[in-house]
Amino acid sequence: MSKKLLAGPYLIWMIGFTIIPLALIVYYGLTDRSGAFTLENVLAIATAEHAKALWLSLGLSLAATLICLLLAYPLAMVLRSRGKGASGFMVFIFILPMWMNFLLRTLAWQTLLEKNGVINGILSALHLPTQSLINTWGAIILGMVYNFLPFMVLPIYNVLSKIDDNTINAARDLGADSFQTFLYVLLPLSVPGVISGITMVFVPALTTFVISSLLGGSKILLIGNVIEQEFTRGSNWNLGSGLSLVMMVFILISMALLAKYDKNGEGSTF
Amino acid sequence: MKGKFTSIRRILSDFYLVLILIFLYAPILTMMVLSFNTSKSRTQWGGFTLNWYQLMLSDPDILAALSNTLLIAFISALAACILGTAAAIAINSMKPVSRTIVMGITNIPMLNADIVTGISLMLAFIAFGISLGFKTILIAHITFNIPYVILSVMPKLKQTDKSTYEAALDLGASPLYAFFKVVFPDILPGVLSGFLLAFTMSLDDFIITHFTRGAGINTLSTLIYSQVRRGIQPSMYALSTVIFVTVLVLLLITNYKPKETKGRESLSGSSSHLGQTIQKWAMGGAAVFILASVTLVTWKNYSASHTNELYVYNWGDYIDDEVVEMFEEETGIKVTYDMFETNEEMYPVIEAGAVTYDVVCPSDYMIQKMIENDMLAEVDFANVPNISQINPEYMEMSQAFDPENRYSVPYCWGTVGILYNTKRLEELSVEPPESWMDLWDPALQGEILMQDSVRDAFMVALKGLGYSMNTTDEGELQEAKELLIAQKPLVQAYVIDQVRDKMIGGEAAVGVIYSGEMLYIQEEVENLGLDYSLEYVVPKEGTNLWIDSWVIPKNAKNKENAEKWMDFLCRPDIALRNFEYITYSTPNQGAFDLLEPEIQENKAVFPDVDKLENSEVYRYLGDEEEGVYNALWKEVKSR
Amino acid sequence: MNQPLIDLQHISKSFDGTMVLDDLCLTVKENSFVTLLGPSGCGKTTTLRIIGGFESPDQGKVIFDGQDITRLPANKRPLNTVFQKYALFTHMTIAENIAFGLKIRNKPKAYIQDKIKYALKLVNLDGYENRSVDSLSGGQQQRIAIARAIVNEPRLLLLDEPLGALDLKLRQDMQYELIRLKNELGITFIYVTHDQEEALTMSDTIVVMNQGYIQQMGSPESIYNEPENAFVADFIGDSNIVPGTMIRDELVEIFGARFACVDKGFGTNRPVDVVIRPEDIDLVEPGQGTLSGVVTHLIFKGVHYEMEVTTPDGFEWLVHSTDLFPVGKKVDLRVDPFDIQIMNKPASEDEEAMGVNE
Repeated sequence: MSKKLLAGPYLIWMIGFTIIPLALIVYYGLTDRSGAFTLENVLAIATAEHAKALWLSLGLSLAATLICLLLAYPLAMVLRSRGKGASGFMVFIFILPMWMNFLLRTLAWQTLLEKNGVINGILSALHLPTQSLINTWGAIILGMVYNFLPFMVLPIYNVLSKIDDNTINAARDLGADSFQTFLYVLLPLSVPGVISGITMVFVPALTTFVISSLLGGSKILLIGNVIEQEFTRGSNWNLGSGLSLVMMVFILISMALLAKYDKNGEGSTF
Repeated sequence: MKGKFTSIRRILSDFYLVLILIFLYAPILTMMVLSFNTSKSRTQWGGFTLNWYQLMLSDPDILAALSNTLLIAFISALAACILGTAAAIAINSMKPVSRTIVMGITNIPMLNADIVTGISLMLAFIAFGISLGFKTILIAHITFNIPYVILSVMPKLKQTDKSTYEAALDLGASPLYAFFKVVFPDILPGVLSGFLLAFTMSLDDFIITHFTRGAGINTLSTLIYSQVRRGIQPSMYALSTVIFVTVLVLLLITNYKPKETKGRESLSGSSSHLGQTIQKWAMGGAAVFILASVTLVTWKNYSASHTNELYVYNWGDYIDDEVVEMFEEETGIKVTYDMFETNEEMYPVIEAGAVTYDVVCPSDYMIQKMIENDMLAEVDFANVPNISQINPEYMEMSQAFDPENRYSVPYCWGTVGILYNTKRLEELSVEPPESWMDLWDPALQGEILMQDSVRDAFMVALKGLGYSMNTTDEGELQEAKELLIAQKPLVQAYVIDQVRDKMIGGEAAVGVIYSGEMLYIQEEVENLGLDYSLEYVVPKEGTNLWIDSWVIPKNAKNKENAEKWMDFLCRPDIALRNFEYITYSTPNQGAFDLLEPEIQENKAVFPDVDKLENSEVYRYLGDEEEGVYNALWKEVKSR
Repeated sequence: MNQPLIDLQHISKSFDGTMVLDDLCLTVKENSFVTLLGPSGCGKTTTLRIIGGFESPDQGKVIFDGQDITRLPANKRPLNTVFQKYALFTHMTIAENIAFGLKIRNKPKAYIQDKIKYALKLVNLDGYENRSVDSLSGGQQQRIAIARAIVNEPRLLLLDEPLGALDLKLRQDMQYELIRLKNELGITFIYVTHDQEEALTMSDTIVVMNQGYIQQMGSPESIYNEPENAFVADFIGDSNIVPGTMIRDELVEIFGARFACVDKGFGTNRPVDVVIRPEDIDLVEPGQGTLSGVVTHLIFKGVHYEMEVTTPDGFEWLVHSTDLFPVGKKVDLRVDPFDIQIMNKPASEDEEAMGVNE
């Protein structure tokens, strides 16, 4: 009985600093400057510029999520096959880069991608045509993939590493070739991790404003930029909150998906 | 044959791992290389130097940000560990239903978008009247760190055999003793990894800190973000390199295990125990190291307690740091210095009052807006005798926004014009620009850098069309909007002060830029020995004549100190120092007179005011009209 | 009929420089029930995995029905495996689990349905088609794992300690079940266990392994009654292993007492090891036996009493008897000649591991 009391401080904290703040967003989002109820801020998502930003955000973050998945799954498989030796590598791909600041890492990509940047420098040294890489959708997607890849690798790896070797051997033993084993056994068993990874990449990618402004040259306006600007420059907190509410719908969908496919928390990231 | 096959597979997978490592480490390596670059530019190699490492150690901003970052990361991770471990134990003993609910709440900060978490916390702090500062960042970090701890501890708790705890009770231990002696050692690895994870997450966070920080508080992230505007100081790269290498070395030490015992099962048990002990020691050592450095820096910064304070809010990189130090020395006033990137970003901060600044440096039209919204206090010019040093011409210009010269003290002024790369234009066979409309030349596709702020962008279009840049005529504005939309495919990027570095780096052929950057640009082009030159022109249609002036917000707590600050900055020797550092035109006649004739005659820096007949000063157009501008600009940006 | 189903030829395998199997040769006849028995780390599971195709040997060949399958991947081998912890597919229903191999082979739907029904009936789990794996007990999961393997009609079924995770009663039931299945299906079983009782109960042939070598191979009776070396004697059942001297054929001296035996050909006056099973020792009144001692321990075991008799030289003899001799009573030991098993003394540890007696 007394053990449950230990959750007290935590619950008070979470109510004070998670639930109430979120309620405030709802309040701001559903009122106008004078405090009267309105749906205008939420419906503002339908205006051409907001809708465009939202669609673009959805498109780019979906692309980034897909690429992350395509990169992360084989990576997780390789790491799984390495057994215990993989843990060191996990640290190198996940923990260590985080100690180099996120903004600096993204800025470094600017240096790499710029017209006279490192990549084009290498290309021209090889007498290949230089590419315009920076300030494109591609650059933003790259930034997203770069920053969020670990969040895809970890849950998939966690799920895969929990699958008993003999389960795979059993499939092989029953006549399945490598591909069939993957398709019928590994893939279905790793669904919780995949869903968790998708959520962990999709949500931050959908709502980013830093990556788009650093690698998109501010030419490409994502929904995150719109919201950020409403708070920091446009000073229309009601509109910003209203648009945040719209984004929270996508976040809620992700949470629901996660709850459905990862009931036991097998696919937890950490 | 199978053996061969598996080895090919092994090679392929090794290759893949290496590719991923390259992908993840290419930017980090780039940054490390840049930390040794003599040139500030990110694209030009100016030679090897260790200068930035020295600068890093002597830069109080960086050291303060470092100490804040480490302190916040440490305290928030520690607090999250205590709250989170307690919560995890409680959750573990809950019934499935309440467990699901609590875990659902736990997941919110993990799954919620950072921007929403940040904004919601900011709204809450303001609603509860908690002024933004160190403690609000700390609260925010604890909030998003707790879930990481809970999720690390929970699996360990589940593995822990309940009967060991009961056995301890059976043997006469008190519940508390039993917990710390029996349960806690079992879940310790989970708590430790939760701590490290929380520490790392806190360290790497920008977005949430961005929204919850207050005056004078910077973490490394926010410091870097404020520098993005003017180009990152390479000392930041140096610092990051030092941190990175330190962590790398620590990791290598803790993960090092003696290899000779491998394969001898009977021994491996004790050797892994040894490894754990080493690891514990190393982690303890790291913690002590962090704590020691944090307390040292904090002590250094806050040892002298200041009742005499001044909160300054200025543009990023818009003052010589030594000037601030000199001011502190001469007056004994402790300055808390904070930076903003745009007028629009500064305004809500002052308006919300969550942070109270004593002296701020906005631009003309924003000053007008603040005056009209009754946000400014009148300056007592009796306390600012050096105002006489300001050339009356600029006081007159200031009347456009401060009609009776009661609220503002001019600091810098300048024009906005087009910077162009002569060589690049030649390659494109485009004539040097003379008109704003030259920025619509299709030959310049992907070669244009535009300003990323509403008024400046519209100024370019409106002036180009021959209208006033202060127009409120809907037709004219629509026309300007269409023009900007038509220009968008030609634009390489919308940036603010990055124009400077990008132009030096030869990234674009033309860019809209503030005149004050010219001295630095010309110097840098010379230093780097570039094979092209960058020239500045004020287009014939006229331009924005801008003035940034110091003002005192109504809610300032240290008005007299603010006036001392204004007076100090108007002293010719100080104004000269500042000019030499920021290179924006000074309205200070005394300082101007001290300049070398060569610079006095540099028309890019000091254009003849009377020749700028078509030029205007921005005026504040009212909230509604500002909304119209913003909406139109959003339309342009989202197109 | 003369051709063995499985013929392992000179198989060697090492992991990280540690030799697990060293030049192992083993043949298994069609339709037999062969058990690989040994302590953990003896190489029995590795042997099974090499037959199954989950490990490839460093040296040697695996011949299946005359064909070399050494390099054939697991999915192409005409045999199936029942894994230690069942390795069921938790994301599938019971029916889907059983159908897995058949679907891979593109068998017709109706055929698959029939097979599922048949297999579930065979393992006494009719009607479990749509249950989930998690809802089954360990014993039930084990039966499903067997059903999943046998629907593919393999000629050889490999079982890797399939009963290890079950409790005693269930294990005994499953032993009978397995024997029944084998007889009904008429397929060859290779069974891995470290449980000697299990091996003795089920097998036609037991292969005792230790440290990568085969120690002895034979019927349960011969393994139990005529262990060829100390390891086998010690590993299978309880036994008294004592040093002795072979005076001449059919006479051995133990602790100064001479026993008649039936073994020949060990030479004269040679040191040997002598194995005597505890139930083969008769306790008689002093003066009536060959060796005298005192009862020092007594435990009631249900079927019999377990006693320890200490002889003057300090050796504690383990004796099973249905007659009670209280602690402290002086007794004599008597052993029938055919109950005494003589073995050569190994000259070195390596030799001991290899089981040179053969």
